[in-house]
Amino acid sequence: MSAEFDPNAIQGNIVRGYGIHHVRYLMLEVTDRKAAREFLVASLNGENPNVPIIQRETEWEENPEVCFNISLTFPGLQALGVSKKNLATFPIEFRDGMASRALKIGDFGDSAPTKWAPPFDEPDRIHLIASIYSDSEEHLDKVQTQVAEAFNILGTRDGRDLAKSKVVFGYVDSISQPKFKGIHDKSQNKNDELLDPLGTILLGYPTRMEGVYFGIPSPSELGFNGSFNAFRVLSQDASGFENFLTEAAEFLLKHPNLKDVLPPGGARQVGKGFSRKTALREIVAAQIVGRWRNGVPYELSPDTMEPDPKVSLTNFDYNRNSRCPVGAHMRRCNPRGGPIVQRVANLTRRIVRRGMSYGPDFDPKNPDDRERGLLGNFLGANLGAQFEAVMYDWLNLGLQHPDITGSNDPLLGANSVDTSWFDMTTRTGGKIRLHGLPRFVVCRGGAYTFLPSIAAINYLSQLKN
Amino acid sequence: MTTNSDKAVAKEMVDIMHRPDGDPKLRPIHTNGIGVTGFFKASETAAEYSNSEPFQGNKIPVTIRFSNASGNKTRHDGWSDIRGMATRFHLNGPQDFDLIAMTLQEFFTPDVPSTLEFLKAARPTPYHSATPLQKIRDYLSLKVPKRNRYPHEDLSPDDGGKKYANKHKFAQLPIFQTASIGAPVSYARAAYHAVHTFIITAPNGKRNWVRFTWQPVAGVRPRPIGPDNKPDDDYLNQEIRDRLSDRETARFTLMMSLGEQEDEVNNCTKPWPLHRTRIVMGMLTLNHVLDAKAQESKIEKMSYNPCLLPEGIEPSDDPILHIRRTAYEISSKERHANRCPFAGGQ
Amino acid sequence: MSNEESWFGRFVDTLPTKGWFKFLSKYVVTPYWLWKDPKPKLPGGPRVSSQPSDNVQRMMNLIMPLKDPSEIGKARAVMAIAQNVDEIFGGLDNVGTVHFARFVILGDKLCMISVYDGDFSNYIRDFIVTVGSVFDAIMAEIEGGSALIPTEQNVEAFIEWVHEHDLFQAPDFPTELFTLQDQAKGIGPDGPVHDLSTLPRNLVLQFHSNPDISLGGGYRAYPGFSAAQIREKLGVGW
Repeated sequence: MSAEFDPNAIQGNIVRGYGIHHVRYLMLEVTDRKAAREFLVASLNGENPNVPIIQRETEWEENPEVCFNISLTFPGLQALGVSKKNLATFPIEFRDGMASRALKIGDFGDSAPTKWAPPFDEPDRIHLIASIYSDSEEHLDKVQTQVAEAFNILGTRDGRDLAKSKVVFGYVDSISQPKFKGIHDKSQNKNDELLDPLGTILLGYPTRMEGVYFGIPSPSELGFNGSFNAFRVLSQDASGFENFLTEAAEFLLKHPNLKDVLPPGGARQVGKGFSRKTALREIVAAQIVGRWRNGVPYELSPDTMEPDPKVSLTNFDYNRNSRCPVGAHMRRCNPRGGPIVQRVANLTRRIVRRGMSYGPDFDPKNPDDRERGLLGNFLGANLGAQFEAVMYDWLNLGLQHPDITGSNDPLLGANSVDTSWFDMTTRTGGKIRLHGLPRFVVCRGGAYTFLPSIAAINYLSQLKN
Repeated sequence: MTTNSDKAVAKEMVDIMHRPDGDPKLRPIHTNGIGVTGFFKASETAAEYSNSEPFQGNKIPVTIRFSNASGNKTRHDGWSDIRGMATRFHLNGPQDFDLIAMTLQEFFTPDVPSTLEFLKAARPTPYHSATPLQKIRDYLSLKVPKRNRYPHEDLSPDDGGKKYANKHKFAQLPIFQTASIGAPVSYARAAYHAVHTFIITAPNGKRNWVRFTWQPVAGVRPRPIGPDNKPDDDYLNQEIRDRLSDRETARFTLMMSLGEQEDEVNNCTKPWPLHRTRIVMGMLTLNHVLDAKAQESKIEKMSYNPCLLPEGIEPSDDPILHIRRTAYEISSKERHANRCPFAGGQ
Repeated sequence: MSNEESWFGRFVDTLPTKGWFKFLSKYVVTPYWLWKDPKPKLPGGPRVSSQPSDNVQRMMNLIMPLKDPSEIGKARAVMAIAQNVDEIFGGLDNVGTVHFARFVILGDKLCMISVYDGDFSNYIRDFIVTVGSVFDAIMAEIEGGSALIPTEQNVEAFIEWVHEHDLFQAPDFPTELFTLQDQAKGIGPDGPVHDLSTLPRNLVLQFHSNPDISLGGGYRAYPGFSAAQIREKLGVGW
């Protein structure tokens, strides 16, 4: 079952990121099956100058001007004519689609699919999601025009990397990603985490779960080397988050155990020129995520965001005495080798994240409520075993540790002010519970997609019915 | 604050509830009842969840009125009917605590307009038995035929409600459960649900959305109806007198369910799922039945109110809970009961 | 004289106890309604919920038809499980989300009944990882089980199979059956209101598609807590 990995056999941006800073997603409907198939043929052989070429996972010396890739939803596979028998071999999560799995992944209330922005409010019409990566607006427009010749474009979404690799909430992101055995990823050179087996991200290879292979949809031309993606448009309430940090800092200032969080005169140690309130805000922000906003891991540097000497950004693990709260966002999503209830699941639910921000910049000094957020891709070989498993049991519910069970992720969780809570750690090994966290991240739309291999795109383009 | 329009609606509700076979001098529903006294003692855990006086562990005297829900002034204990259990905790603080509960797990309607509509639709109607042919048709449709009429049952309490429930999903569960609720062997052998959500505050400031249920320690036991379909009309009062004679007691455990995110806190037609965390909040011990004089002077003149809450227990925004406050006030005034706990207060 | 007091009225009241009438109900009335108003099979296991206490102490009633329901076949199933006690404890101790689990042979079925925390797929998947060989041994004795061996390489299919053989859990509040039956037909909560008097019939008809069911989601003495929370509180480690 296992095979040699050939970078020319799969699409780019799956096992490694592109390092390009602008993206446009096209939500596509197949209205003319023949035109769609011809487009796919041309996107592989490059013989038609008016059809963009699918970018393969091949190492390049210089960044190409544009990288074009496609992914398909379950209705998309149907629309392209995959047989019923073969369709049934895809995993249930993907067959159901993201909107049907909403409750499982926390998409209720304001995140419910009935409230999603167009075109995601009509999930059955979204057949493909194509991505165009390019740092030139002109190229984005050009490729979009080309795609429009073969597909009905239901909607587009533009994303970009914010300055200094930050995300809307002001944290430095993209510090570490799973890296895979046998794949050289320059961007992850400084990442000291354990290597992940290729089966974490591609179908047909061993996984981190000993002896377990995820099922390859039939025929193997279609399924082998494929991957799955949870594409999500996540609006992020930056000003709500800043407000919460202020509230929490004010709460802590009055707390009898304040000195266990911030000893008298300790503010400057936290960050240069910090007042007590600023220091507390940043401590809360750091504990909520598990990293200071400059990227320094809280676990390695719980007292200051500017450790001297510097600490590794990636080489750490959690233990029973960790200063990084068990409920911190990063620790919930990736508990690493730390203590968890489902010991067997340590390191098995890894997700590759490829995301860019959307919407206007946020200036915490002049906060506004315009919509902004993340266009996120959460990739893995099995949506149920990775994305959904993390969302359902760990990010929400908090089943991995008895001290957080019944609470949701402080940053991403489906929280409501009345019931939410988050336990901060103190310097003396105690806890201080924060209440009243609102839902900072709301899903505005999304889809489960299949990322076909090159052979699979060829297979789809050759279907005859 | 009670507005004038609330008052008008509540007045209309009270008017509709009065049945032709009722008595304007008595309560319009839960007309027949009996007064019992005893005491409540909170569990050791209770104070961790609530800083309110009833839950601090002191022995608190209580006055309880058990009742049949029907507004018929003639007692029919054996008829299928909801039963009520109104409990007043006599506190040291400025305000007592009334916990009004019934044997149905939920209320019929979620808001004021639907309640008014429901009360109109569910007015008792002359009793029409199912004909044998209707029953055969029901059997052939795999339905359960309407139950047979009890002797002297001239008004049907259910027909209007059933029609209403066929138009409104929220009313289906309560109507379905009411239809088979039957009669208990004793007021002390039924579970009573307070239905509405209340908000309690823990000593550390944590607020919890909760619902209360009284669980009889002796167990829940319905009374079978004999094959002749002729239920006893009057046994519940004597039963509780017998039960509490010779220094015997009857006990209830107060169970409290903790609401969770997304739970229906302001909709009392929706019972919470059975697996919400349940806290044992305390034990109620009943030891004395009021004599006829006290029954007349005290219990029948007493004005309970579901919004009579001590510091530390707040009402939710359930519109039914709030309109009940006004409706109870009006009803209390109309039957010249003792001063309503809220009268003149606000 | 009122209806129920008439001779005919009293006779009609006794009909449901008469043998010929039961026969008629079983062989004519029920089949007629099944033809007229068929009910799709309702899915098994606890329903997905966003609320914490719905997601701990969840019940699985996995009912598996024995390939060979003879005395010898049953004994083989017993052996398959008895030989794997170490494996089962290994799984229990390392998956960490199971409160109770037991096997029962009932008629020609092998039943695995358990109480677990969290997502159903994660629960089964984690067990495949730790005790895949036990599942293989069990599936070898089960009708249609061979196609799923080895379970480690049929993870998705095995999880779906288990889900299909997990008993439908009738709603704790009876009228919710309408909602679930509507859902199975693709009708949302805003669909038409059912005639309440048809609820008994809807239950009768559902038994055709779900001949075995679990009565509600079970009763719990200390709902709302995970196995690990209880172990932590008891001081026995987790």
